[in-house]
Amino acid sequence: MMEILSRISATDCVKLCHRVVDGLCGREPPCRSDYSTTWSLEEWLQLLDFLTSLFRLAVGNAIPDEEVLAKLSDADHSHADAVLSVLRGRWEEIRRALLDRTSSISSATLQDFDWQLKLALSSDKISSLNTPLLSLCLDVRENGALRPITMELNREEVSTLISSLEAANKVVLQLK
Amino acid sequence: MEEVDKILIHALKQVGTEVGEDVDRLNQFTSELIVEAVVRCIRVIDPALGEGLPTSLPPGMSARFRVGMSLAQACQDVGYKGEIGYQTFLYSNEPEIRSLLMYLVEKMPRESSEASDQPTGKSAVLHRAIAAAISGQLAVSWVPLNCRLPLHCETQNKAASHSFHVRPLSSPHCTNGQKYLKEVKDYQRDFLLPVTAQLPSQTSMVSSILEQHTADLSTAQEWDTEWKSQGLLSRLTPQEYRSRKLTRLRKRIEEQLRSAAAPSPESVFGVPRSTSELSDLLHTFRGSTPSDLILTKGSHFTHTQKFTFTQEAAAVPSPVHTGRQSEGDAQLRQQEELAALQQQFHQLCSDVDLMVADMKHMSVTNAQVFDELKQREMENTKNEEKTQVKKKTIDLLPDADNNLQKLQSQVEASANRVVNLASQWEKHRAPLIEEHRRLKEICSTKDLESSTKLSEIKSLHDKIRAATAEAKKKEESYKQLVTELESLPQDVSRSAYTQRILEIVGNIKKQKEEITKILSDTKELQKEINSLTGKLDRTFAVTDELVFKDAKKDESVRKSYKYLAALHENCNQLIQTIEDTGTILREIRDLEEQIETENCNKTVTNLERIMDDYKAIRQENSALAAKVREG
Repeated sequence: MMEILSRISATDCVKLCHRVVDGLCGREPPCRSDYSTTWSLEEWLQLLDFLTSLFRLAVGNAIPDEEVLAKLSDADHSHADAVLSVLRGRWEEIRRALLDRTSSISSATLQDFDWQLKLALSSDKISSLNTPLLSLCLDVRENGALRPITMELNREEVSTLISSLEAANKVVLQLK
Repeated sequence: MEEVDKILIHALKQVGTEVGEDVDRLNQFTSELIVEAVVRCIRVIDPALGEGLPTSLPPGMSARFRVGMSLAQACQDVGYKGEIGYQTFLYSNEPEIRSLLMYLVEKMPRESSEASDQPTGKSAVLHRAIAAAISGQLAVSWVPLNCRLPLHCETQNKAASHSFHVRPLSSPHCTNGQKYLKEVKDYQRDFLLPVTAQLPSQTSMVSSILEQHTADLSTAQEWDTEWKSQGLLSRLTPQEYRSRKLTRLRKRIEEQLRSAAAPSPESVFGVPRSTSELSDLLHTFRGSTPSDLILTKGSHFTHTQKFTFTQEAAAVPSPVHTGRQSEGDAQLRQQEELAALQQQFHQLCSDVDLMVADMKHMSVTNAQVFDELKQREMENTKNEEKTQVKKKTIDLLPDADNNLQKLQSQVEASANRVVNLASQWEKHRAPLIEEHRRLKEICSTKDLESSTKLSEIKSLHDKIRAATAEAKKKEESYKQLVTELESLPQDVSRSAYTQRILEIVGNIKKQKEEITKILSDTKELQKEINSLTGKLDRTFAVTDELVFKDAKKDESVRKSYKYLAALHENCNQLIQTIEDTGTILREIRDLEEQIETENCNKTVTNLERIMDDYKAIRQENSALAAKVREG
């Protein structure tokens, strides 16, 4: 695997590895079009897979540097060093990303939420309504797919929602 | 008059006239300022009329004269009844200007009276504002995306409809006392993009930054409250507290996982499915990644699975080969084979079941046997010890007395030694106990101290919280008051003015009272004078008669009568002169007042200015005439 990595220089390798870690942490992964002349699609996918699993394993199982170097033994010295330096530099960030993945292990997790407060001034029947309404938008990740849930709540419904969420939070606090 | 001037200047400033800060009286107004003020007032009163009037005086003298004339005309059109002409503006005269400006300011329409009619209150104002904003937005017509002006941005912008999406950001955290690796520094210096460039789309950037900040803030707050409520009481350093909590949590999670994973051997065969989600999850782990490190426990199941699956896979290719030879036979053969294989499979399954049951049985018996073995071994060792003791006593039996003595001496020696040791121990023990007590005491005092300090810290925390809350409240009320103040300045001045007016009315009342007093005094005086003059007349008449009667008889009396007549005449003359001086004095006073008012009108300076302007006009005229001649 590492001999195809040797097709680029060590500094480029550092850049690529940082982008791979970015992708691992939920940001922009490296772009294939930047490297399409260097590697074929298959090689590219293999390389990405290899690097990602290497970073993940090394941080997740806290493998010491020597073993990582042993895994990179078929590359020349400078490239292995480059990968190792990236690993060391981003260790904490990777660890946090892995922890995040582990903590969102349950079947559905809340990814984002957004809210808007609206004031209904009147309706088709009543000329002056003046009722505040909360439109709540939840992005729930369910089995890897993002599912948006949108609802509109009036004052009582919001208070029941908040009280149930507080009860859930209490249970979580008791677990601690 | 100063009060009136201030009100006038305030009103003029509101209209838009640029009155300087140091100007606070009307007599400081220049001609330019007067013209500007009057024009602005007229523009407010009647926009159509004020349209054609310039707000500043032109340089040319004749043009100035014309502007003055048109202004005077405009003022008369508005309805001003007083004396007015170009001279009012060009050669200003304080009282005239004041009366004109007062008239104009009173004529101005008042918006405040309209506003005060509507219901006040925060919610009503807010609702009105909302309604106004919505009606304004509805009035703006929709335009295509490419033609949008800044005024459409607010309501028809695409950005308003963006939903809130968060992506993780990376930013270097700076914490004290933590040393960074060289690689981390290199990364942060050379590769880490600024936060604004880390995300592909600008729309999610703001939300991501906000989200990260709130997350950081809430973790800090949570830690703060936890540390204050529980951490301080545990009397550990923050690091120790954290590590202890971590180990506790780990233990809990381990327990949970173990309890969830325990019934797995039964559920492997799919019959008694456990309902808990966690065990489901663990099963999925087991099914998908059999080679994973954690899952050595489940290998039992995976092996059987592998076994059955590989067999089936191996069985598949064989019918394909035979199928080529004859199609009819193939199906039969396939079916036969399938039946045989199924039978085999069933048999194997039942075999496996049997084997498993056997294994269970075996393992149970094995455990039992192990237990028995252990018991037996223990018994064995006990028995061996017993036999050794008995062997020794048997060895010692032949020389019993001697041995007894030896034993006794040994016992005595050991007893002595024990006593000795006990005394020694006592010697050591006393100071040790003393020290132990002392240390205990110190400990308890320290405990007490620390608990008092803890309570102090707690109370301090409470105080800090209360103080911050109070400060926030006060700040809010301050802000509210400031906004109120900003919305109120006119009313304040109005109340001041009304107060002022009331004062003035009071003063006037007082003055009126005084005037009436003086009037009554003068009336009384008049009365007295009248009565005195009457008395004088009467007495004079009586004396005159008496003396006149006597004068016919006596020569000396006649002389005295003459004197009396002279005296009367002289007194009358005197009174006349006094009255005359009084009227003259009044006239003088009137004249002085007139002189003063004339002086106020700055007649001389104005005359000079008029002369100058007249000369200027003549010059302009002659220049124009020369031009005409030349032309």
